[in-house]
Amino acid sequence: MISVRDLWKVYGPRAQRIVGAAEADLPRGDLQARFGNVVAMRDISLDVAPGEVFVVMGLSGSGKSTLIRCITRLIEPTSGTVLVDGADVTAAGKDELLQIRRHKVSMVFQHFGLLPHRTLLDNVAFGLELRGVGKAERRERAGGVLELVGLPSMGDYKPHQLSGGQQQRVGLARALATNPDIMLFDEPFSALDPLIRREMQDEIVRLRREVSKTMMFITHDLSEALRLGDRIAIMRDGRFVQVGTPAEVVMEPADEYVANFVRDVPRSHVVPVDSVMGPASEGPFAGEVESGSKVREAVGLVAHSDLPVRVVSGGRTVGTLDRVGVLSVIATEES
Amino acid sequence: MSLAAPVMSSSVESLPTHESDAVRRDRMRRRNGSLAVFAVLAALAVVFLREVPSWMDSGIQRWAQDRYKWSITNRQTSPVFRWLFNPLTDFLTWSVEHTETLLLDLRWPGVVALIAAIGWRTGGVQAALAGAGAMVGVGVIADFDPAMRTLAIMTVSVVIALVIGIPLGVLSARSDRLERVLRVVLDTAQVLPIFVYFSPVQLFFGLKFAPAVVVTVVYALPPAVRLTNLGLRQVPVVANEVGHSFGATSLQQLFKVQLPLAKNTILLGLNQVIMMAFAIVVLASLLGTGDLGQSVLAGLQKQHVGQAFAAGMGIVLMAVALDRVSTGRPERPLSRQNRLPAVPRNWITPISVAAVALVVVLANAFDWRRFPSSLTYDISSPIDSAVDWVQRNLRKDVPIIGGTQAISDFLVIRVLNPMKEFLLWLPWLVIVVGIAFIGWLSRGWRLAATIAVCLLLIATMGTIPGGGGQIQMWDHAMDTLSQVLVAIALSVLIAFPLGVWAGRSDAVHRVLRPFLDIAQVLPQFVYLIPVVFLFSIGRAAGVVACVVYAVPPCIRLTALGMREVPTSPREAAISFGATGGQEMRRVQLPLARKAILLGINQTLLMVLATVIIAALVGAGALGLVSYEATSKPNLKFGQGVAGGLSIVLLAIMLDRLTQAWGTRPNREEKQSR
Repeated sequence: MISVRDLWKVYGPRAQRIVGAAEADLPRGDLQARFGNVVAMRDISLDVAPGEVFVVMGLSGSGKSTLIRCITRLIEPTSGTVLVDGADVTAAGKDELLQIRRHKVSMVFQHFGLLPHRTLLDNVAFGLELRGVGKAERRERAGGVLELVGLPSMGDYKPHQLSGGQQQRVGLARALATNPDIMLFDEPFSALDPLIRREMQDEIVRLRREVSKTMMFITHDLSEALRLGDRIAIMRDGRFVQVGTPAEVVMEPADEYVANFVRDVPRSHVVPVDSVMGPASEGPFAGEVESGSKVREAVGLVAHSDLPVRVVSGGRTVGTLDRVGVLSVIATEES
Repeated sequence: MSLAAPVMSSSVESLPTHESDAVRRDRMRRRNGSLAVFAVLAALAVVFLREVPSWMDSGIQRWAQDRYKWSITNRQTSPVFRWLFNPLTDFLTWSVEHTETLLLDLRWPGVVALIAAIGWRTGGVQAALAGAGAMVGVGVIADFDPAMRTLAIMTVSVVIALVIGIPLGVLSARSDRLERVLRVVLDTAQVLPIFVYFSPVQLFFGLKFAPAVVVTVVYALPPAVRLTNLGLRQVPVVANEVGHSFGATSLQQLFKVQLPLAKNTILLGLNQVIMMAFAIVVLASLLGTGDLGQSVLAGLQKQHVGQAFAAGMGIVLMAVALDRVSTGRPERPLSRQNRLPAVPRNWITPISVAAVALVVVLANAFDWRRFPSSLTYDISSPIDSAVDWVQRNLRKDVPIIGGTQAISDFLVIRVLNPMKEFLLWLPWLVIVVGIAFIGWLSRGWRLAATIAVCLLLIATMGTIPGGGGQIQMWDHAMDTLSQVLVAIALSVLIAFPLGVWAGRSDAVHRVLRPFLDIAQVLPQFVYLIPVVFLFSIGRAAGVVACVVYAVPPCIRLTALGMREVPTSPREAAISFGATGGQEMRRVQLPLARKAILLGINQTLLMVLATVIIAALVGAGALGLVSYEATSKPNLKFGQGVAGGLSIVLLAIMLDRLTQAWGTRPNREEKQSR
């Protein structure tokens, strides 16, 4: 759905000459002092499959916000191509770009970005209004989406009357209202306190089940990345240092930087049962877990019984997992 | 160890003290050289040229006079006038006349109702009552009909300022370069004293309404542009991104995101536009508009203080009314917004329209044309008798202060005259070289050159008749300069201690603030009235008016500079055992120095503008030269142009010089370069 090739963003004079050149690898300060350029993002390529949640994780200044803004050219990339649902965003003319922004992609912002002079209903209907949808129709649709995010009958409120969590629900509703195939999330929950953040993450998980969307999600919170991402890209100094599933990132960190990051993550929280289970066998079993679920789900079952648990997929037993298998995962955390 | 030694020594060499010694030596050498240059110039100046030589007259007066004559004879034939200025003049005159007719046709109850209705819509019942009350007050104290003419000129000016200013603000929010250019142009236009514009607008627009509107727009435009620009630039980045990310076109972005978010700031701008227009419209009445402003000025000039006071009060009340109804409601706190208003918001407009219409119909049916004389109160006679009393009892022999006449005499005989005579006694080139030298000390050669050019150009403005012979424009400029210097010295002397005090004590700040706030809104002419009341007319009155006008902003800016000093260095000083006085002298004042000097720069320009306007109360000099010309353009137009240009040059010189003090880099900053 999203396909990015060799994407660069360089700030400063004659940025084009830095792209791909040896100068781009100079230390940040040197490059700025000698050429006046800053490389925000270098040589990024990625593909997001339909229905996938792709999380980009990095600390502030790593270039992740630049990346997500380049997808719809809120920031003009210096070079490279971005394809969205087959359409070349980087080559698109003014009108085509507007059509892509209006119909295909929508974005949820870090500080919500609600327009304070509009009611919630008109905030949610904003995208439809820009598209030229009539007042009655867009309001009706906006009302439906507000209900979907758990804010029914609050359409006449103004944004400042809401709590942070509620405001971001409206931000989410606004992005959903245009019914895009792709949703971009720019650190949407970082301004919320931990409990609300957790609640909102659950909301995303629920939405994924109810409406199938391709999502690109920016965060600086590792646990959020692990919870939500089908795949995670770790970004540092404008480049990807590792791209992989949560289990891959945690179990096989690409370098010391990533290793330091994931050091405190309990392995059992990210390793799927499938990767440690033994061959299927006859019972009896202590219980069952779904194929694809994490090892932690089996911990309780094997702790209270000497019997193994079975791993099921579509009602069929595909493997078994015993106490040794579970403990072997947990044991790696201690080393 | 052997390795460490050279490293040590090189690092010692690069310590700032050593380097700065070399820099200082270099600077001293250059300074001595330049000192010698200035000394030689000054010596030459003393020896050769005491007076401005007649060959320096550029003939600008004759040239301008010829242009004026040409414009009179060719007004109907020249394409510039036929296709540009005449239609524009006609349009402006037509607009003012029709607005005036409309206001008069509403009858006075209709106007009051209209003001109340606007106030209700923007600021609720309170604003409606305050606006209507002040408007009735206009009728009680002053004449309602000339007040409507003032209101008409002002309304047309405000509308034009908004129609031009808001789009300019939108454009300058989108282009940094345009913003910079506009800021310089508009700020310069706004600080120049109004008389400067009289000759040019008279050339192009003649007299009466059209030039008055044009001049008013010059001053009312900057806040419209500035606050539109500011409001749009304050729109949060994320709001702009939201618009773009959902596919807003540039126009959608402007009308659906940016302008709504900038609305409050733009409305604040509207309020400032109105207040500025009011301050100017009074002075613009010198162009012969025959409105309330003209009564004020006529009263002032003829020393009919009561008449001036009544008309002035009328204008102030009208300003209060419009201020109340155009301030609008700031963001209301959450709790109040949730409470239901007594009347649903979307009923307010229809109800008010109906009410105003009803009042107008009734007023016309019963022909309430004139403001009922039973309601009017003649404030001018009590004021006049109060003036008499002051003149009889406060002029002389008052204990301690000595009386107003004594103060005025002291100012004229002991301060203004010696100052003026000293400036005239100095060979003129010595003044040029001397002030340029001060400029060189403050900022270097470029500033020195700017100052020298300004002063030399003043010397080319020629002579004008007066005092039984010809007087150099230079001499008038020195007269003005002496008044400015005395007024700014007095203002700073009064305002600086108060400002420092208010900057250090919250209690003093709280006490002074309401006065400073009121003083900020009142237009210049308001200050002339009480000054004439006490000091009669003349140069002393002018200087006192300047001081009264300039002291409040000077206090405010000094206090602001003091308050903006961060607390941590001050706390550090106190923790090391500094006394309050030590902390103030060694920490707060040095850190506030730049801000305070910039404040003085602003005050200086206000003083200059007021010195010029004080010509209305007999301060003479350049102000008189430039505004006198409007009444006899056939003879004096050239003088008016030359006088106006001299004022502009003087303003540029004083502004550049004092701005250099406020922005001069500190020694540490210089070294770090």
